[in-house]
Amino acid sequence: METLNCRGLACPQPVLRTKHFVESNPQAPKFTVVVDNAASAQNVVRFLESRGFSASLHQEGTDFEIKAVKSDESRGEAPGKEEAKSSEKMLVLVTKSTMGSGDDVLGEGLMFNFLNTLDEMGEVLWRLVFLNSGVKLTIEGARTLPAIQQLEAQGVSVLVCGTCLTHFNLLEQKRVGETTNMLDIVTSLQLADKVISV
Amino acid sequence: MGLCGLEIPTDSSVIVGMDRPDDAGVYKISDDLAIIQTVDFFTPIVDDPYWFGQIAAANALSDVYAMGGVPKTAMNLVAFPLKQMDMSVLRQILQGGLDKMKEAGVVLLGGHSVEDNELKYGLSVTGFIHPDRVLTKKDLKVGDRLILTKPLGTGIINTAIKGGLASAEIIETVTHLMAALNRDAAKVMHDYPVHACTDITGFGLLGHLAEMVMDSEFGVEIQANRVPLLPEALEYAAMGLVPAGLYKNREFRQAMVDISPSVDTFIQDILFDPQTSGGLLICVARESADDLVDRLKEKGMDKTAIIGEVLSEPKGRIVVT
Repeated sequence: METLNCRGLACPQPVLRTKHFVESNPQAPKFTVVVDNAASAQNVVRFLESRGFSASLHQEGTDFEIKAVKSDESRGEAPGKEEAKSSEKMLVLVTKSTMGSGDDVLGEGLMFNFLNTLDEMGEVLWRLVFLNSGVKLTIEGARTLPAIQQLEAQGVSVLVCGTCLTHFNLLEQKRVGETTNMLDIVTSLQLADKVISV
Repeated sequence: MGLCGLEIPTDSSVIVGMDRPDDAGVYKISDDLAIIQTVDFFTPIVDDPYWFGQIAAANALSDVYAMGGVPKTAMNLVAFPLKQMDMSVLRQILQGGLDKMKEAGVVLLGGHSVEDNELKYGLSVTGFIHPDRVLTKKDLKVGDRLILTKPLGTGIINTAIKGGLASAEIIETVTHLMAALNRDAAKVMHDYPVHACTDITGFGLLGHLAEMVMDSEFGVEIQANRVPLLPEALEYAAMGLVPAGLYKNREFRQAMVDISPSVDTFIQDILFDPQTSGGLLICVARESADDLVDRLKEKGMDKTAIIGEVLSEPKGRIVVT
């Protein structure tokens, strides 16, 4: 197994050396990188993970050893951040501003909790679609807005029905996601591996 | 810190001195005049000497703006490798610095140069302020909103530039951002009930916030998704192009910070990213915050945003949600 000696190098040199090594040895399934400072060690681990390697870090005296193993699913071309995500796509279709039926005050609280907990689905969560009164969750001042913005910042795609925003006269107040049409919504439902409707 | 335990000379005219961290020192001359003094210099962060000169000058002037003052005079500080580098490089750096000083309405009174193996440039700056209008890091009030005037991420992007991995577009964006004076921000905030201010530099947003709430009666909450940032910084952070200073900043201050696990790892990084010539962090009365943001945006600081607020609890801590 090859060892890449990056002792005595400061950031970003160890990452650049590792990048060069990975790109000039695309067939290497396993190798080790040695650095002598914690910042470089963390950066090399990150870089390897972004290129589809699993990386384990061990400290040996003043040295940090990073063992890199190519993950099976990513053999071959180095994947970007997007492709590294799980391939399963989960779509959550939100068709109203409250959750469940019976009591709207309770329903509103439940929807708030739901959107704030949705993150727990992890990387399979692919897209959120807001329809009908569900679009009210995406507007300025909505209690649910920060949670949806947070999900969007994490890479979850957010679609908001334009016809619905227009109907409620809320087009200007929308603060998250992409305004969309029925064709996009239908295509999204088709592309998703799983659709959860609430 | 090297001065720890040493006796610091002081007198009753010192308004802001060495007893607590702040952006610059302030010394009272008369009932309606105090001087602000600050000094800053560093090694090149961009390859173009003219732009490096501008950035170094903007960075040094920023501390005066962060105290609420107006910079008036400056002195050059230069360390230059005469044997390895052509004098024309130095002239371009100095030209960049002078152009920034002209833009700021500052006069150059002198300077000092030494021969050194490593190039360094910066300024010592003196500014004026009314003694009753000094903006320190300490006079926060519960309910105040926190406003940031420049996007974060310059440390990570500078690391990518060093590694030769940054695109020409982002180099240009970040160069202009770092060279932009905080003068207009300081001028605009003068008309508002601003209680405290600092500029975001080497300790990163959370490091500078930590200095504001440390040993105080206040806490702050930051909404991570409202913090303006350079999107390319997220990309480079994911690739491991993270400056060592960022990890140091986090290690130093993480005990004071509660970050919700739902905040993206790379956004967490950017909150600790050391900035060069970063924006002003303005602490303003709640009812004036939206209006102040609008005015700052009108003046061209289009990424300005309200990023959080001052709380009564948890005292001395930063909550990031």
